[in-house]
Amino acid sequence: MIAAERAAGGPVIRAAMACQAILGRDLRAVLRSRSQLYSSLLFPLMLLAILGAGVSEGLDPSSSRIRDGDYTSYLVPGLVVMAALFSSTFSSASYYHDRDSGLLRVMMASPHSPRVILLGKALAGVLIGAAQGLGLLAVAALIPGINLEWQFGAAPGFLLAAGGGLLLAVFLNGFAQLMAARIRTMQGFHLVMNLVLFPLLFFSGAFFPLDDLPLWLKVAAAVNPLSYAVDLVHIAAYTDTNGHFGLAVDLAVLGVLAPAVFLLGIGSKKGAE
Amino acid sequence: MRSTEVAAPPHATFAAEVRDLSFSYEDRVALDGLSLSVPQGSVFGLLGPNGSGKSTLLSLLAGLRAPAGGELRVLGETPSPALRARIGFLFQETSLDPLMTVREVLWLHGRLFGLPAPVLRRRIEETLATVGLADRARSSVHTLSGGMKRRLELARALLPWPELLLLDEPTTGLDPDSEQALWSELERINREGATVVLATNKVAEAERHCGTVAFIHEGRVVAQGPPAELKAGLKRDAVWLEGLFTQDLVDAVGAWPDVGRLTWAPPILHATVDSASTFVPRLFQAAGDAVISVRLREATLEDAYFDIVGTPIANGGEA
Repeated sequence: MIAAERAAGGPVIRAAMACQAILGRDLRAVLRSRSQLYSSLLFPLMLLAILGAGVSEGLDPSSSRIRDGDYTSYLVPGLVVMAALFSSTFSSASYYHDRDSGLLRVMMASPHSPRVILLGKALAGVLIGAAQGLGLLAVAALIPGINLEWQFGAAPGFLLAAGGGLLLAVFLNGFAQLMAARIRTMQGFHLVMNLVLFPLLFFSGAFFPLDDLPLWLKVAAAVNPLSYAVDLVHIAAYTDTNGHFGLAVDLAVLGVLAPAVFLLGIGSKKGAE
Repeated sequence: MRSTEVAAPPHATFAAEVRDLSFSYEDRVALDGLSLSVPQGSVFGLLGPNGSGKSTLLSLLAGLRAPAGGELRVLGETPSPALRARIGFLFQETSLDPLMTVREVLWLHGRLFGLPAPVLRRRIEETLATVGLADRARSSVHTLSGGMKRRLELARALLPWPELLLLDEPTTGLDPDSEQALWSELERINREGATVVLATNKVAEAERHCGTVAFIHEGRVVAQGPPAELKAGLKRDAVWLEGLFTQDLVDAVGAWPDVGRLTWAPPILHATVDSASTFVPRLFQAAGDAVISVRLREATLEDAYFDIVGTPIANGGEA
């Protein structure tokens, strides 16, 4: 044999093939893991039903940001972000599964730099995170009683939300890679991710409007990347205003932060090892 | 270094050449000035206890780690990610995702190695037939037996037509039939031109299958050569005695005419002798109560290793 048959294309094409193969494998793994698939969709829907209905009916959501006191519809963008967040975190944890099963070592022994392998895994996480967030948005949009605004129209609004979801997933997977590079066990990874990401989620406007918060919480929200993703999905799907920060600011912050954190995560040497 | 070797023919090319290689894990030295040459097309054994540096050497040959010092050439090149396209690696531990199917394992690997889809489809069929797993292509990995998993890993290592095959204790945990089947394949692959480097602590495996064996001890090659040469000077039987022997007794035993190599590494006295059945009664007469235990068997490479290193392969280091 067979040098001619050995490999296709140049280094970039082979790296793309490797990323595609890893991405395909990770997608298949998620599709096979029914419990992960269903729980990532059902948990936000359950929150939507319980928390949304409870607050709408039992409390008085009188903020001007909650249209007609319909807290359930208000929750949708926040839960889209939450679904993307959970999915991205779970996908990133597959790094540990692959490491413990030995598969990561085999992938590292392929003719690619470790960064190509991490890129493939991170891209899979991005796709899975964004898809699950947007899947939830699509399901929510079909539920009677949930009133989304789609101020730019349903299709452009969904595309805008998709862009936001994608940027968010890019950010989250980069962040998760950075964490995975520093944490040795999956248990530790989940603990740290929960400790970091849950507060970020709470102070993002996912569960309550940011406008009426005390100043210190507004500051916390302003430095929280998730706030911009929630705001963007609000603008795309829920509100007929320009949101809390404004669409341009949301896109600018996510557009700069997401690739930067992603590249940092992929470049993380410890993670590659 | 005690050896014999490096008796490669003058015009031989080497699949791997290593000079004064060193590598450390934080505070533990794994390789300490290790040198060896692996002739192209050979089956080359690295024999030593756990922790002696064999696996580290394989990972350096594959370019998975960078040496702290020394020179390293593999297939004529400095190890790099691109060079790994020509190397197959069978890791010591099982390295399979139990949720993938047999075909998916090979497909992922083939794509990582840049094989075009039509070529890969054909190659998967070939390698599965080669290792006797053609009828398990759609099976999940977790449904395979230990021997089947090992054969699948071998198929994966063979998939991209490696010129150099690095095997880290490939038969650990296999039953004798599976072990024999695996070696049948490895010998066939070697006959087709691939160089095989085997890291093992199984003496019989190295002796039976390797054309050249390097004894590895504490990150160094302490002897190297064909098994027959390494065993030269050993008598037919090996005797392992544990006891409280005096130096005078050891010297006296060493002078007996039927005793070959004799090594005294208290409390173990190791000797190879013409006939254990005549040697042992004579020793009991000479040593009396000083003998605590006796173990006899035919002399193997393990005896040659003990003669050189002073510790048996089984107890010579930490994992």
